[in-house]
Parts: sequence; C-alpha cells; structure tokens
Amino acid sequence: MNNSVKFALLVVVSLVVCSNPIAQLKGIQSEQLLPKDAVTVFSINNISLLQKIAMDDLVNYEFMSEVHQELFDGSTSGKTLKDAGLDFNQRLNLFYGKTFTHELTGFTFGVSDQKALFEVFDDFQELQSTIPGLKIYGTFFNHLLIKNNNAILIRIEPTMDYIDEVTDSIWYARGNETPFEFFDSAPQDDQILNEQTFEDDTNTNFYPEASENPSIKNYYELRDSVQAVLQQEELTRVIDELFVDNINLHNTDARFAAQLTHNAEGVFYLDNARNLDKSQGLWYFQTFLPNLYKDLQELYAGNVILGDLFLRDNQIDFEVEALYGPSLGSIYAQMNDARFDSNVLKYIPASSPAYFTYNINLEQAYEQAYQILLPLLSDEKNAQIAMNVLTLELLNEFIDKEALFDTYKGSMFGAFNGVKKIKTKKVVFSYDEETFAYQEQETEADADMPIFTLGFSTARADIPEMVLKHLARLSSRVQHFENYWRINNAILDAAPLYILNTGKLLIFTNDEELARLHSSGYGNLALTKKQSKLARKSGSMYGSVDITKTLDRFPTEVLTPRNAEIVNSLKRKSGHLELTSSETTEAHTTFKLSYRFESDESTGKHLLDLVNSLYLIYTLNP
Amino acid sequence: MKYLLLSILLGLVFSCVEISDDLTLNNDGSGTLRYKINLSASKIKVNSILALDSIDGNPVPSKSQISSKINEFVRILDAQAGISNVLVEENYTDYIFKFSCDFTSVKNLQEGIKLSLAQISNNKWSQPSESSWLSWDGNTLVRTIPSYVTQQIKNYKIDNEDLLKEGIYTSIARFQRPVLRFENKLGTLSKNQMAVMVRTNTFDLKANQHLLDNTIVLAPR
Repeated sequence: MNNSVKFALLVVVSLVVCSNPIAQLKGIQSEQLLPKDAVTVFSINNISLLQKIAMDDLVNYEFMSEVHQELFDGSTSGKTLKDAGLDFNQRLNLFYGKTFTHELTGFTFGVSDQKALFEVFDDFQELQSTIPGLKIYGTFFNHLLIKNNNAILIRIEPTMDYIDEVTDSIWYARGNETPFEFFDSAPQDDQILNEQTFEDDTNTNFYPEASENPSIKNYYELRDSVQAVLQQEELTRVIDELFVDNINLHNTDARFAAQLTHNAEGVFYLDNARNLDKSQGLWYFQTFLPNLYKDLQELYAGNVILGDLFLRDNQIDFEVEALYGPSLGSIYAQMNDARFDSNVLKYIPASSPAYFTYNINLEQAYEQAYQILLPLLSDEKNAQIAMNVLTLELLNEFIDKEALFDTYKGSMFGAFNGVKKIKTKKVVFSYDEETFAYQEQETEADADMPIFTLGFSTARADIPEMVLKHLARLSSRVQHFENYWRINNAILDAAPLYILNTGKLLIFTNDEELARLHSSGYGNLALTKKQSKLARKSGSMYGSVDITKTLDRFPTEVLTPRNAEIVNSLKRKSGHLELTSSETTEAHTTFKLSYRFESDESTGKHLLDLVNSLYLIYTLNP
Repeated sequence: MKYLLLSILLGLVFSCVEISDDLTLNNDGSGTLRYKINLSASKIKVNSILALDSIDGNPVPSKSQISSKINEFVRILDAQAGISNVLVEENYTDYIFKFSCDFTSVKNLQEGIKLSLAQISNNKWSQPSESSWLSWDGNTLVRTIPSYVTQQIKNYKIDNEDLLKEGIYTSIARFQRPVLRFENKLGTLSKNQMAVMVRTNTFDLKANQHLLDNTIVLAPR
C-alpha cells in the first residue's frame, strides 16, 4: 500500500477519533505545536462521530490494521488506537511543511496517558532535553516531543540538493578528487536494463569501496553523516522555535488561527504563496530570473486556500475558500465576471447522472492578465523572455481578439449520458468444413460506449463552420448532415463524433440520438427548472454527480478487472456529489463540495464502510 | 518489465480475444506454425488502454514498443537452428496479429521459440516446465497449449463470466495423410480427414488449461 493511501487512511481515521470541540479552545493545545513552516495542515476537530461510532467498532475495521502498523511502526502487535493514550478531547493536526532546505511532516495531538502512549510507541528512546518541561524521544526517523500533555511527532528530512551541496563542499574542501569516476566503468545502458543479471551479479562494483583507512569516510559515508547533522540542526531549530521562542503557525498566521475557531469537524489550510516560495521546482526562476521570481511571489502573495469539513446527517460538506492578493484576485475577478448562457442547459438531459457547467469571461481575463503579467515579463533582462514578450505583444496587436473570444464565449458544459450500444466492425476467423481452410470475415458488432457531450457558447458560429467545411474537403471521414457534422471513427478509432453548430453553441458528442433528434435541445427532457436554477445561480462552476446512477451506467467492461471491482463496490454504497461556487471577488472565491447519501446509518459509519471496502479491494488485489 | 508488453494487452482484453494456433505437420516432421491473435472485437477497449500511461502501476506499451518487441522476437527466432521464413503481420487498425514460421522438426520449433522468448524476456519464460508442448514420432502427434499461454489465461481475473465466454481459442493440426483417431472429445475432423480442430471458449480454458490437449494418430503410410 503506497504512502498516499496510508496518509488518506490516517486522515479518515483521525477524522473519526477526535471529539469535543469546546475543550480544544482552552489553554495550550496541540495546534500550538504546529511549526510555522507548515504549509499544509489538516486539523481534525471531530464533534460527534466518536459518540456515534464506538471505538471498539472502529478498531475492528480491516483497514485499521494498516493504520496501527503505520502509527506504531508495526512493532506493537495487538495494540490499537484506543490503547495509544491519545487525548481525544484535543485536535489532531496533520501537517506538511517545507523550508528552502528541509521538509517537515508529522502530526500534533494531545496525550492523556503517557504510559499507554509509550506502550504502543515503544521504539522511541528518551533523548536529552535542555528545555524545562520538554521531553524528547526519538527513533531513527521520527522524533516525539511532549510538553504539558501536548505532543508533536515530527519527521525532518533535508532536501537531497541541500545534502549534496553541503557534502560536496566538505568533500572538495578536504582536497578530495571527484568521487564519481567509477561511473566510467559502469555497465552500459543495455546491461543495466537486464535487472536480473545486475541484481545477481555480486561482483558489480558500482559504489566506491570503503577507504583503506577506517577513520576516513568515503563520499557516501560523509554524505550520510552530513544528512544526520543537518537533520539534527533543523530539529534543534524547530524545537527552539516551538518551545523557547513560542513561535508556531497558530500565532504567526491569523488566517489559520481564525479557521480553527470554525465549528467544523475538520479544517484544511494550504498557504499557496509559501508553497510557491519554497517550491524546489522553481529553482530555474529563482536562480536565473530572480526579478521575475520576485514578481511572481508578489503576484501570489496572500493566496491561501482554507477549508472546512462538516459531517452532517447523511451529508458531508467540504467548504473551501480561496483567498487572493490584489493582483491575482483582479485576474480571477475579471475571469469570473461572465454572464451565464442558459442555452447550455437545454442540452443537458434531466436523466444525466453527471454534468457540469463552467462560466468564465476569457476576454476580460486575458486583458487583465495582459495588463498585470506583461509589465512583469517586460522588466526581466533575459533574451528569451524578451523574445517571448515581443511575440506576445505582436500577437496582441495583430490577432483579431474579438473574433477569437467571440468564437469561444466562455460558457461551457459537459454531461455524461450513460452508456449506449454503438455499431462497430469486428473481424472473425472462420474455417471451412472440408479442409479447415482459414478465412476472415468482417461483421458488425455492438460495443458499449460511454456517452459524453461537451459544448460551449459561441458568437461566431461561422468560424467553426468554415473549419469543418475545409476538413470535409480534405477527408471523407468528415460528413455534413442537415443539423450536424459527423467525423467517422474519431473516438478510439471506432466510434463517430458528432458536432452540432447551432449558431449559439458548438457541441461535441458521441451521442447519435442527440445529433439526430435533439439538435435544438432536449425540450421537456432537459434539466428541470430546479436543476437549472442551481446551475445558473452557482458562480463560475457547478457540478452534479449522482454517483450510484453514474456507476450503474458506466461500462465496467472498459475497465481493468480491479477497477471494475472498485466501481462495483462503490455502486452498493454511494450518494450524490454537488459542486457549487460563489461569485468571485478580488479577495476570494468560495467553493462547496457536498456529498449526500440516503441511508439509516450515520455519516461516520457510511464513510468508514466506504473506506474499508476500498481498502479491502486494494489489499486483496495487490 | 518489458516481457509484460504483450501479456498486459492480451491479459486485459482476454475476454474478447480470438486466438488460433494452426500447425501443419509434414510426414518428415517438418512443417509450418501459424499463430493468430484477433482483438478486433475489443478494439475500443484496446484503444482506450493504449491511451493510458499505466494500469495498476504497470506501464502501458505504445504501439511502436509493441511492434519493436514483436520484430525483435521475429529477428531472434529467424536466426534459430531449423527455423525459417518467420513472418509477422501487424494490423493496428483491427488489432490482428499473425505470425508464421517454417520448421524442420517440432524439437527445433519448441527450442527456437523457447530461446527466443527467453532472450526477449530476460529469461523469465525459460522454465523447465515449458520444455515440451509438442511431440511427434512419425505417426502420433501429442500437443498441448504452451505454458506461457496457459499461464496468461490462468492469471486472468474474471470480472464478467459472460464476456470471458466470448473469447475463443482454436487449435488446428494439419497433416499430409489421413487421421486415424484422436483423443480430445471436443475435436472435429475435417471432411478430407487430414486436419483436426479443437475449439473452446476462454472461460472454459481458464477453468481447465488442458482442455485443448490432444493426441492424434495418423493412418499408416
């Protein structure tokens, strides 16, 4: 089972095991042990689930064995979460953070019984602490810091680049030659690809041998030592910051602190600005285009994603607020300042199990982005950027933007309309009776095909029409019918694609029925007034998925056996998913994702059953 | 993982595959093997799989990778002792693959295929159990389905039994003189009495990988 699945399991379980939000607001609590460098936090503040799900029931779920293994390093057989001495009256805060040189992961929690805690965390050895009241415990990878019954379990890893940089610096300063000469004699690529041979060959001498003098470290021994020292230094820094200087995320980011006051079961925090700032992937910008990088930082300043997770009766709501700084906010605000084109709703049937609408004003967004981004790029003294700026400015002058943005107006929709049989061809082998001589015959065959429709509003229907006319002259696969175009074998080399150009909308679909019979819309069969209103009133986007219906209509034959099994499992236990968004201002956009289900069971049990069935499928089909 | 290139595709769409192995055996023990795989009934599924980067952690090969592997196999097999005229037709529109080769003896054929598969698959297929799936003494042919094929069938996970029943495996043996008798009860004799055909669906073959095994005795010369 991979780490992301394990992390997801931990999150779900954490969601279920904490309780009593009132107690969490008193005194020093676990959230005040979150390092200020945490950029992503999922903080659990479970109100009711623990009261509805007995801990005895929870620990009996099959997936809990994985959680116990992960939490307790697999060393404490028979122990479960309820034996771990955790204080379920406190939040559990899972975090990930990074600096320019290190990555930090872990979680903070309350401790109710330290004796019980160390019966399950029995690999941890007590280490020396110079800070009054703070106890430090460690394993090879993790450290557990406990003060006043609040604890943080933290893993600190220096980045590979940083380790290499420091190691190289020491290695060469000591007068050593390059340690990588042995690669010259390494096997060639084709030999390396033969894994079997490589693994079995004990004489393969890829790595430098230990020095003849045991007191002198070779490069990799030095590298390991550097890693350990950097890890320890950073741990010391984090400990001092948290327990001496009293600096933590809670008291350095008011937005996070305010989010924690929400009466929600879970709180999500992602500081996108710091995420970008510390991103290792942007080293090129940081190194070669420092001014542009600084401008990008300013553009993203204040970009934080905050979320609340509510577990309600038969409903799970995830409410997310994206906060923007003025520059980025102005682009998003212009982009979402669009009039919804109700025409798109006529082409979504009420029976559609899954559909979305998306509404943006591309022209305004382009103009705003042009105004903000072009000056940033123009200031950069770099030949490549300068050429790109020149190209952009020339295109801006020469291209008929009105025609471009009238062709794609910005209101878009997509719908999944179930599965239909489509006609395809197949070849069958046949043999005559006399000699069993072999022949091939082409016959018609039926195949299940998921039916999708995608369309967008346009004020320049003449432009796509012109393109299609020319394509039809070039290929016999493109055919024109009264109300639509058909491109044969366009989908997976087997099924036709239909294009409806209604004058106001350009629609792509593999639904022959829509093209032939509903080219003016579904009429009475289209979305109901109530459904349409929800889509119209939502901000820039709206999505609706009836999971049960969608999965019922999805052809499992096109899936791998394992994925088909997952889909079949979900069919028995799933509900309705709805995504809505607010109007976007320069300061923020709010999104809400709601999952509703019909059942007598509690929301927590529903969620855990769902997780457990997925876990079983994954583990039974490794 | 390269040895998985073909087996991934075949394994995923095994439910609608049509396989034909067609052995022509001359009186002197030489002959021709023709092997055909027809995935045309699953071409939508094959195309959708080929559009993916990976499935369940296994990389999905591109058409050029598949073709390259097939041609590598052909090149290696053509160089084996007693094997000649190795030909492959690849049809990536309907996904029909046809392979044929001539051989001087069934021993050379088996040895050649075994060595070639071992070379392109890093010895993963060169297991002792695969040593013999054909034997011929001049009058009697004993044949089974090679284990590298039956293993694929055995490993296939059933998600839809009805679909698996649509897959077909046909095994034909042709001779230069009439067939006296054969053991497999699923077998049929051609009207000219010079060929025996055994057919079954992939569902039954998965349940019993020896369903197509046959012992065929020819009339004396």
